[in-house]
Amino acid sequence: MNEFERLQDEFQRGIMSGDSKVLDEILDSPKEKRDILFGVYRHAYVSRLVETLRNDHEHLHGYLGDEMFDAMGAAYVAAKPSQHPNMRWFSQGLPEFLRSTEPYCDHPAIGDLAAFEKALNDAFDAPDGPVIAIEDVAAFPPEVWNDLRFQQHPTACRLDLTTNAVAIWQALKNDETPPDVVMLAEPNRLLIWRDDVTPMFRELPSEEAMMWDEASAGIPFGVLCSMLATYADPDSAAARGAGYLHGWVTSGLLTGVSRD
Amino acid sequence: MNISSKMPDTNSAVQSVATDRTKAAKPPFLGFGLGLRAQHYDDILNSNPPVDWFEVISENYMLPGGQPLRMLDRICERYPVVMHGVSLSIASTAPPNFEYLSGLKELAKHVQPKWISDHLCWTGVHGKNLHDLLPIPYTQESLDHVVSRVQLVQDFLGREIVLENVSTYVQFANCEMTEWEFLSELSRRSGCWLLFDVNNVYVSAFNHGYDPYTFLNGIPTDRVVQFHMAGHTHMETHIIDTHDHPVCDDVWKLYEAALRRFGAVSTIIERDDNIPPLDELLVEVKQMRDIAIKTLPQIPQLLHTR
Repeated sequence: MNEFERLQDEFQRGIMSGDSKVLDEILDSPKEKRDILFGVYRHAYVSRLVETLRNDHEHLHGYLGDEMFDAMGAAYVAAKPSQHPNMRWFSQGLPEFLRSTEPYCDHPAIGDLAAFEKALNDAFDAPDGPVIAIEDVAAFPPEVWNDLRFQQHPTACRLDLTTNAVAIWQALKNDETPPDVVMLAEPNRLLIWRDDVTPMFRELPSEEAMMWDEASAGIPFGVLCSMLATYADPDSAAARGAGYLHGWVTSGLLTGVSRD
Repeated sequence: MNISSKMPDTNSAVQSVATDRTKAAKPPFLGFGLGLRAQHYDDILNSNPPVDWFEVISENYMLPGGQPLRMLDRICERYPVVMHGVSLSIASTAPPNFEYLSGLKELAKHVQPKWISDHLCWTGVHGKNLHDLLPIPYTQESLDHVVSRVQLVQDFLGREIVLENVSTYVQFANCEMTEWEFLSELSRRSGCWLLFDVNNVYVSAFNHGYDPYTFLNGIPTDRVVQFHMAGHTHMETHIIDTHDHPVCDDVWKLYEAALRRFGAVSTIIERDDNIPPLDELLVEVKQMRDIAIKTLPQIPQLLHTR
């Protein structure tokens, strides 16, 4: 390790872990002691990243309040230092951190809220992609519909939450008092995507969520309808499947349709 | 993943074909602009404000898709644009991040900026990014390192880059030269151009107890292609470069002196925090323009012939 490498190593450790060895390498200024001056970097490191978390998780911040959010943020900064040049990706690991770290993991709504906000953030700047119209699907003759496969829009993603985090999020967004946390008997199955430039979400019935997940895996329409038949009235399965499909197309959730 | 392992012996490969960029043509004078911020997208697109050009933060648009890139495209249709990055980490002793450089090059291909700038600083080592503009010791060893890094980056991007002096809060005990000597030598040897941040000179000069005009007069007159103007926060014993206030009187005075030394230089108001309505920043852009015209009467003609 040459002298320049050694200095950068010590400087970084001085900021990230409070190691004071680097103070031997820097000078007092005419008006201030070096530890105060170096402290500007130490303070800026944590506060800048916590500020990034506040921006990315506006309603989680509102839910926890300044003090608790900033303590959580500082813990995340310490546990998951940024490894990407773009700060946009710093908060990506927050939901997993909250679901696996005490005391946050004891309150699943916090992790759910973070996961929901992350999904909306990801939809905001996910890759652009074409959107198909009803006519694109209708162009296929009825006899080949069983073979149709659908390509999901690149902004679309699914998320299952175990709590009423979406209701909490909606209350916070509307400046209302959030409801008490409820652990759901059935997961809240969400579909998140972007309509033009606006992130959107919708809560799915369980059979539509199943159909979306299977369609995403490349299962053709005929098989999807057979699977729907196991959920409810078999006779109306094809009509229900066509109905869900119609909704996906009109919401801009599909980017392609093809026959095998 | 060690990104450098994806590249075939980059250092020697680049050095063997390195282009001599020390005699490249100077980028054009763009006039008086503003740092583009998302809060102002709608106002800009609705009112076409009297701003000669915009500087955009590269990383804000190094994204897969969506509204930011859409807005950038619309701004690029109307105004000259310069890309200004914060994560090049040109002075880091860590291996170069070719994934980042590829993203930067791809964005530049899309935006066609008048130039690409970043800072003379480092942002982290050992795979970490501290997202700060960290200071370096001004030594022969660090100069040699940064010169070779600038040459590598310039050859990768296929163009000269522009580097900005950062505000610093500490000085290293082992310095062998001043910051202005370092910048001058770096520019002379590598061919990179300089972004003279007038506020940062003022901040660093106060923090380290030297005269900002000595810094100014130590920079070669033919290497500066851009000025930044910004505000800061005074802490009595030191100044923190917060970029969250209007430009102060002392920095306006230093700007006048910089105009007299360097001539007509493309300049922006750079506000990063506590961002006011667009109109408020347009007042500062006008003030910047008025001072420049008063100091250099040839500027209206230069703007006319851009």
